[in-house]
Amino acid sequence: MMTKVGEVLLLLLLPAFVPHTDGTHYSLPGKPTELKCRSPEKETFTCWWKPGSDGGLPTTYALYYRKEGSDVVHECRDYHTAGKNSCFFNKNNTLIWVSYNITVVATNALGKTYSDPLDIDVVYIVQPHPPEKLEVTVMKDQGWPFLRVSWEPPRKADTRSGWITLIYELRVKLEDEESEWENHAAGQQKMFNIFSLRSGGTYLIQVRCKPDHGFWSEWSSTSYVKVPEYLHREKSVWILVLVFSAFILLLLTWLIHMNSHSLKHCMLPPVPGPKIKGFDKQLLKSGKSDEVFSALVVSDFPPTTSNYEDLLVEYLEVYMPEQQELMVDKGKDHDGCLKSIGLASDSDSGRGSCDSDNLLMDKSGAPKEEQQQQNQEGDQIGKETQGPKEAWEKEAMPCANEDVVSPDASSEKVKTWPSVFSPVTPYSPLDPHNSLEMHKQHCLSNTQFPPGSPSSDHYIKEALQSSYWEVCFNNNQPYPQTEVHPQLQAHSDRNISAVNDRNAPTGLLLPTRMTEYVEVQRVNEENKVLLHPIPSGHSREKACPWVGQRDDYSKVKGVDSDNGLLLQREVVEEESMEMAGAAESCYTSSIAFTTPKPTACSPVALPVQDERVLAVSGYVDTATVFSVHT
Amino acid sequence: MQLETILPVCSPAHKQSFVLCVVAMCRAVPINDLIYRASQQSDKLHALSTMLTQELGSEAFPIDRVLACHTSSLQTPTDKEQALQVSESDLLSLARSLLQAWSDPLEVLSSSTNVLPYSAQSTLSKTIQKMQEHSKDLKDGLDILSSKMGPAAQTITSLPFIQTNEIGQDKITKLLSCFRRDSHKIDSFLKVLRCRAANMQPQVC
Repeated sequence: MMTKVGEVLLLLLLPAFVPHTDGTHYSLPGKPTELKCRSPEKETFTCWWKPGSDGGLPTTYALYYRKEGSDVVHECRDYHTAGKNSCFFNKNNTLIWVSYNITVVATNALGKTYSDPLDIDVVYIVQPHPPEKLEVTVMKDQGWPFLRVSWEPPRKADTRSGWITLIYELRVKLEDEESEWENHAAGQQKMFNIFSLRSGGTYLIQVRCKPDHGFWSEWSSTSYVKVPEYLHREKSVWILVLVFSAFILLLLTWLIHMNSHSLKHCMLPPVPGPKIKGFDKQLLKSGKSDEVFSALVVSDFPPTTSNYEDLLVEYLEVYMPEQQELMVDKGKDHDGCLKSIGLASDSDSGRGSCDSDNLLMDKSGAPKEEQQQQNQEGDQIGKETQGPKEAWEKEAMPCANEDVVSPDASSEKVKTWPSVFSPVTPYSPLDPHNSLEMHKQHCLSNTQFPPGSPSSDHYIKEALQSSYWEVCFNNNQPYPQTEVHPQLQAHSDRNISAVNDRNAPTGLLLPTRMTEYVEVQRVNEENKVLLHPIPSGHSREKACPWVGQRDDYSKVKGVDSDNGLLLQREVVEEESMEMAGAAESCYTSSIAFTTPKPTACSPVALPVQDERVLAVSGYVDTATVFSVHT
Repeated sequence: MQLETILPVCSPAHKQSFVLCVVAMCRAVPINDLIYRASQQSDKLHALSTMLTQELGSEAFPIDRVLACHTSSLQTPTDKEQALQVSESDLLSLARSLLQAWSDPLEVLSSSTNVLPYSAQSTLSKTIQKMQEHSKDLKDGLDILSSKMGPAAQTITSLPFIQTNEIGQDKITKLLSCFRRDSHKIDSFLKVLRCRAANMQPQVC
């Protein structure tokens, strides 16, 4: 009987020791993985692991740890509090600022398998529970609703004593499917306000926390809140805005309509029609081109040569009396432009007026020669005016002042204004008075003529349509005071008044010897011509720069009773291009223009010297001022 | 009259801290603000050291079984109950001692960065420099704070750092691990201290 029971037992136990016929293989347990420990409040901590395969046999797991500085191996005492495959370390077993070396062992019938060890320090693995008691309320701020969110720290975290410092974060979302979470950092606060809500919308809110040096907690459970409707208030504002802007728009439209005409003028200024003499718009409109073109044929165009002589100014006499008072006749034309007598006025004759040409200064060798050449001038002038005129215009360009051009153009009186140069910058520092006259300046060219000329006379030549004339300067001494002043006299409706604002009128002096070229610097509002010597060879781009020590005939002091143009001579010592100190040693020279009388400026009056005259840069073109013919 | 007689609390030994002390005294900066400011500095200091260890790779920083820091001899609380029982003055004294113990090692670290692989060098030197600055600021602040808190707070335990001629890479990583822990201790003590101070804003603690 006993043996039979034993046999049965053996039979029963046999399968346990005999491999199955289906091939199952028992093995060591798999290595436990993903060992992770966390502490929610820096007082306790829990470790979890993930078991490996069990090798077909029942497997048990054990956690062993060692503390820093000790070789004693301890085993976890609590495998249950934290759930399956976990180990819970309670307060008594938890030390901070001490590192633990933790290992998990899987054991089955066949053997043990150790996991990889994990070294932790409790203070570095803090991950709190989510915040609790999340509350959301809708509050109103002057009719506009907002959400007030409040919460409590997780129960176990001791923030009161400062043991744990928590930082919070919340997120908000509309109940829409397409909405995204909107995160807000709340610092250490336990309360937060959310504004700009959608009227009538439903919001979802969650909050989480993190210790100062640790891991974020999980998100708390969601709170739902519905925002009441407040649309009508917002709408009324928009309606008001719309009505107001519509009203403004209507007003603007009405205004524009009322002023459409003047607006049109303002925005689209009328284009000046053609002003060709003899051109008849009406004829053109009527479409009869023959009549139109025949109307253009004017009897006196092109001018025949006989006219040239009438228009020619043969010469201007300049002489320098000992003491000459400035005779200043203020011109009526205060914009400084001189009328050219005998020239047809044309309001839009372009550059031919004030801005273009220099006063032609010609120095001649001997007075007698000049006289002889005067008669030849006429023809020469006629031929040469066109050529040099452009040259002069070009030279005049850099110095031209736009301001001067415009009054010329606009005034019907002035046609050809002798070169209006406006070297604004150089002059302003020099003389404060001049600043008033900046807008009209004349440059008298003061370039040296071909050096061969022995005499040093200045001539102003009056050309034809451009109406240049020569002004004879006698300039023998560089220094002012007491020179015999040549006077240029001219008959003209308008007189050039000389500028004498720099010094007390000491009379107009014209040096008698040197031939220099003066630029008419400007003409001030009193029709004073300011003459300004042009250094030889100087680039014209500089607005009449001063070079070295020169006599400066930049200012016309006045016109005497004999229609002489009294120029003011100044000596300029140039230090720098800015002409800073040039205002100082100045004296006035006077140029008196005399028309047809060929009085001798000692040397002599002003014959034109052919190419030299015309080719030299810097001419005073005061053609329009004087009526050459008496 | 010399300032030292007016404000005997401030020690003129170190010029900068003396000036700060005088200024603080004259302006009567409340202790709460000082502590709050100090805790912010310690927080920043620890954050820097954590960032450093993470950037250099956590595998370079095994927490050894025996982390033999030069500051290990200093007795510090090992759990919450112990920590909450330490007096304010002692807390401050511990913090200051630890801080003082690291001024030399940080100096050594900053000059030894060439030992590390090149990619880590610039990060290391920059971060160590920042840590030194924060450390200095914190030290000055704690000096003033301790002067307001009585003689117990003035004690500083000396924890000398014995500098070897060469510092190998493993020594560097060990030092950085030690510093990470010690900076966390300082931070914790100061944060406990700031909630301990009376009239602390309720939202902070």
